[in-house]
Amino acid sequence: MADNNQGSGIDSEVIVIKELSYTYPGGAEALKGISMSAARGERLGLVGPNGAGKSTLLLHLNGLLRGRGSVEVCGIPVTDGRLDEVRLKVGLVFQDPDDQLFMPTVFDDVAFGPLNMGLQREEVERRVEDALSAVDMLYAVERCSHHLSVGECKRVCVATALAMTPEALVLDEPTSNLDPYHRRRLIELVRGLDMTTVVAGHDLDAMLDICDRVVLLDGGKVAAVGPAEDILTERALLEAHSLELPLSRQS
Amino acid sequence: MHLPEIDKYAHLDSPLRRWDARVKLACLSVMLLAVALSPTHVAALVGLALASGLVLLSRIPLSFVFVHLRWVLLFCLFLLVVMPVRLAAGGSDTFWRAGPIALSGHGLSRATLIALRATGAMLLVYPMFGTARFHVSLKALRRLRVPLVIVQILAFTYRYVFVLLDEAARMLAAARARGLGRAGALRTFKCMGYIIGMLFVRSFERTQRVYMAMLARGYRGEVRTLDEFHLRSADLLKGALALGATALLITVGLVS
Repeated sequence: MADNNQGSGIDSEVIVIKELSYTYPGGAEALKGISMSAARGERLGLVGPNGAGKSTLLLHLNGLLRGRGSVEVCGIPVTDGRLDEVRLKVGLVFQDPDDQLFMPTVFDDVAFGPLNMGLQREEVERRVEDALSAVDMLYAVERCSHHLSVGECKRVCVATALAMTPEALVLDEPTSNLDPYHRRRLIELVRGLDMTTVVAGHDLDAMLDICDRVVLLDGGKVAAVGPAEDILTERALLEAHSLELPLSRQS
Repeated sequence: MHLPEIDKYAHLDSPLRRWDARVKLACLSVMLLAVALSPTHVAALVGLALASGLVLLSRIPLSFVFVHLRWVLLFCLFLLVVMPVRLAAGGSDTFWRAGPIALSGHGLSRATLIALRATGAMLLVYPMFGTARFHVSLKALRRLRVPLVIVQILAFTYRYVFVLLDEAARMLAAARARGLGRAGALRTFKCMGYIIGMLFVRSFERTQRVYMAMLARGYRGEVRTLDEFHLRSADLLKGALALGATALLITVGLVS
């Protein structure tokens, strides 16, 4: 475990995963004994080829999937009896905004989490305003999600998680389907967040920009862990796992 | 893809838009029921006139109204053609005959009544749901004690029907790009069956992902929302006018 934190220079661990394995009901073995951690304030990247287990791993951080092994968030074990606590600590942003934004308006979507937390109207409204301001989307508060552009949707998705003021933010492929301008804005947004962030994706340039440390997954196992600058510039390692150097590092 | 959403013109200022959504839905629901159950042609005509007046008052463009209304009109046309037809000759109400086929006045009268009722009722949907954003109408329905499960079904349907139609359009475009329709009707029907089946599968998968997204944000079986309604005397006055018009409609139905 200590090895996994090399290069981060950050102390307390917010997410700790030990020997996590998961097999889908159909028999596909998605995770095979994963151990890793993310420290407070750290921006951790999960990279790997298709089917590496990145999204499956993210769903375990919020207790949406439950495998063998253990997952702890802020010292709370992810168990049946403590799922409500865990979900307050981890904000999860799905890859497809149409999955994340299911309410009739942006306001209702961002308020969904705070209302489930049992907060009073004034507090809910304050959180919605703060979260939408943080992602620069306050102007769309009364709009319907299906009227927003993909870039706007992605930002609102982040706001839905931020409104719950989680300790850790988990993002699945945040830059997918974004044009260069909105991709850049989203990267800046994630970089500007002052919280533990776990990002999974194939956009290795974005990973380089966002992440302090990277975990390379392949076939449901951890293939390599280290500072983003080291892992994502090691051509042989990346090519051995069906990845390529980030475009910015290709000569 | 551009789809004609019912609340597309909800931003247009009108007395109906300024009407409290709860009172509006309650009063116009009663009126809609009265129109749909009009016992006579005169009453149905009065109902149609009332509904048309409210549509004009709402300022919703008539071209937009016609987009949805045309399907109802097509259905009515079908009834007007089919219902008067009698295969066995005879009957005192027959007004035209050609061999074994006859047209019955009673059938035509029933079809006309149904057409008037259906058109009037359909027109009333615009002032009801087209003059406020749909999510406001849903919250108003909830305040009117419509069961939560029905309101949630309506909310999710409205949220995802456009996603589903977009997905269907993309799949159809992809199928056409690979020659759908060129290999005969049977093959086309078979392909359409596959596409519809795949849409069901994708929708099911999406429901699972949406459910997970809800759980991730603390969902425990009830969708909670904030709403804000303010009842003013003008809302009650409009409600009284609407109920008065409905009473007139019912009276016409009883005496005509």
